[in-house]
Amino acid sequence: MSSEERAITIFYGPQHPASGHMRIILEVDGDIVVKADPDIGYVHRGIEKLAEYKTYLQVIPLVERQCLPDAAHHNLAYILALEEILGIEPPERAQYLRTLIAEISRIASHLYGMGLHGIAIGSSTAYMWCFGLREYMLLLAEKLTGARITYSYIIPGGVRRDLPQGFSSEVERYLKSFERKMRDLDKLFISNPVTKARLEGVGVLSKNDAIRLGVVGPILRASGISYDVRKARPYAAYQWVDFEVATRKEGDSYARLLVRVKEIQESIRIIRQVLRDLPSGNIFHEKYVKMLPPKIKSYIEDTGRVKFPGVFATLKIPKGEGIGIVEAGRGELIYHLISDGGSKPYRLKISTPSFRNLILFSHLIKGVKVADVPAIYLSLDYFPPEADR
Amino acid sequence: MNILSEVLNIVFSRNVIAAIFIPGLVTALLFIILIIWVERKIAARVQMRIGPLYVTKRFGGILQLIADMLRFLVSEPVIPSTTDRLIYTLIPILLLLLALLPIAVVPASWSLVVIKTELSLLAFVALTAISPMVIMIAGWASNNKFSYIGGLREGFMLLSYEIYLFVSLLAMTILYGEIDFLEIVSSQKVYWGVILNPLAAVSFFIAMLASTSRFPFEIPDAESEIVMGPFTEYNSIMYGLVMGANYLRLYSLSLAFSDIFLGGWLLPFNVPLPNFIITMFKTFIVMTIAVFMRAVYPRYRVDQALVIGWEKLFPLAIISVLLSVILRCLGVAL
Repeated sequence: MSSEERAITIFYGPQHPASGHMRIILEVDGDIVVKADPDIGYVHRGIEKLAEYKTYLQVIPLVERQCLPDAAHHNLAYILALEEILGIEPPERAQYLRTLIAEISRIASHLYGMGLHGIAIGSSTAYMWCFGLREYMLLLAEKLTGARITYSYIIPGGVRRDLPQGFSSEVERYLKSFERKMRDLDKLFISNPVTKARLEGVGVLSKNDAIRLGVVGPILRASGISYDVRKARPYAAYQWVDFEVATRKEGDSYARLLVRVKEIQESIRIIRQVLRDLPSGNIFHEKYVKMLPPKIKSYIEDTGRVKFPGVFATLKIPKGEGIGIVEAGRGELIYHLISDGGSKPYRLKISTPSFRNLILFSHLIKGVKVADVPAIYLSLDYFPPEADR
Repeated sequence: MNILSEVLNIVFSRNVIAAIFIPGLVTALLFIILIIWVERKIAARVQMRIGPLYVTKRFGGILQLIADMLRFLVSEPVIPSTTDRLIYTLIPILLLLLALLPIAVVPASWSLVVIKTELSLLAFVALTAISPMVIMIAGWASNNKFSYIGGLREGFMLLSYEIYLFVSLLAMTILYGEIDFLEIVSSQKVYWGVILNPLAAVSFFIAMLASTSRFPFEIPDAESEIVMGPFTEYNSIMYGLVMGANYLRLYSLSLAFSDIFLGGWLLPFNVPLPNFIITMFKTFIVMTIAVFMRAVYPRYRVDQALVIGWEKLFPLAIISVLLSVILRCLGVAL
């Protein structure tokens, strides 16, 4: 019998313990995967269409729901697109605060992916530690924005809240403890010989293939291409902070893990710089501050919190198109917003990194062992709700 | 009267006590409850969690397993229509029996042994070697693709760990010149086996991890890959028995480990304790180390486990045989 005749079909998901909200249809010959076919759409919610029925401000919590581990970047990309149509540039302090929340969100998102990658190859300790470490970032986000996961922190023209009192010293305390625990994680999980044996040389994506397939994010950088939207097309405060783009040459699952670890370290550097260089000033665009009634204006000045008056609920946006591109935790995230001059978007097109990386499933999971499927799948940090939208 | 005293003699004979109490059923059950609790508590401690707590909160949730087992008992056993019904239902019972059988020949003290035989180590090895076959049959009888792959993996693993398990035991029998557990223990009056031949101890311990599918060799039932391996289709009390059988295997192997390598009930100093308590204590330590691996290692891939078995541990076991021969020639052991 040829290998195709011998092959059995395995439905890896959606009720599989490690599959997430999707399934991969695997053709398996003995212990070798002959073919992998990702079957997505289990968590499609029609976010793009839903956005057309909501006012511009109501869209903010909606788009955040696509990717709960990395909500800030979806928020940010949408607001960038919106601000391009409005033609406004938020004050510098707000730009820095946007960078701060984006980096907190990136660390949380990477730890989420690393934790799941750990449990996929059997390290329950890595899973628990990564989620425990993620807790630091959630607590910081809670102190900054009042919410742990879906912050809705970034609003057109600025951010919703100023830094709370004593935030910088608290962040430093958190980061010190965080870095110590990251070193423990490195000893136990990342440098563990079994982890290396499982991930090194598994699911290798060559540089050419990475370009050809249009891969984005840490996966692209793990294949040796130094592309990062934060450098290529700086937004928020990234032009003023100093950081490196983490790259590796190997392109295997282990390189993807290491790129995430390196990016976490760089994000910590950025957070420190942001808190050091944070300029004083307004956190909300002057144009809108002028529009506010005096009572709310004094509230903003006293508490450092932006409170929307009723007029914002029916914010009318001029006719036009705007594009917001950010480097989200999983890669390049693009929002294309079209306005017809009404109070609701005419069309919102979202291009998410998870969906762009989906092609790797059939490309990388071929000719590998069944045991490598979770090792590759979760190294891609694929988040089904983000891909399905 | 005569018959009654005969019956009483049998009931209170050492063999029956050994079978029912130590190291037999009661201790085995107690150890399973304890070791699963210890496993979960240690893993929780490492992972910054609390672990089982709410059942008997005052004692740190030590009776959690009993609650789980009760839940398994009262839940409805569902037998999928596609399975081979007879074999499918027999397998949990068979596995449990086969996991219990090897304990019959392993002593817990000079007199606490169910079956006294001069070939007890041989009998032990033979009895432990059967249950992997049953696991493979379980994978086939479930008629599920994940079970099938899991069964095949168990077969692959068997090919690798059995070899170095046996060769490391061969090294110890050469060293002691005996294949009876009682004689083996009495040969360790001066030095324990683990000091005389650490290589054999290491390869036996790793074989133990592999044969009971502990981390890093938790390959046949790797959850993120093939759901629950050969036991994917098992549920309710049948799954409870399967899980218990696995821990029973660990118990019997740990008991053998403490007899062969840790001097059984012998200690270098005098302790006013019954012999069997010392053996049981050592067994528990060995089991704890084996289950602690869960908190440290991810799992290997099946081909990597085979490579480790054949390229690293098999030569190690061979070297341990050489070491035994050398020690024997020098007359160290006796």
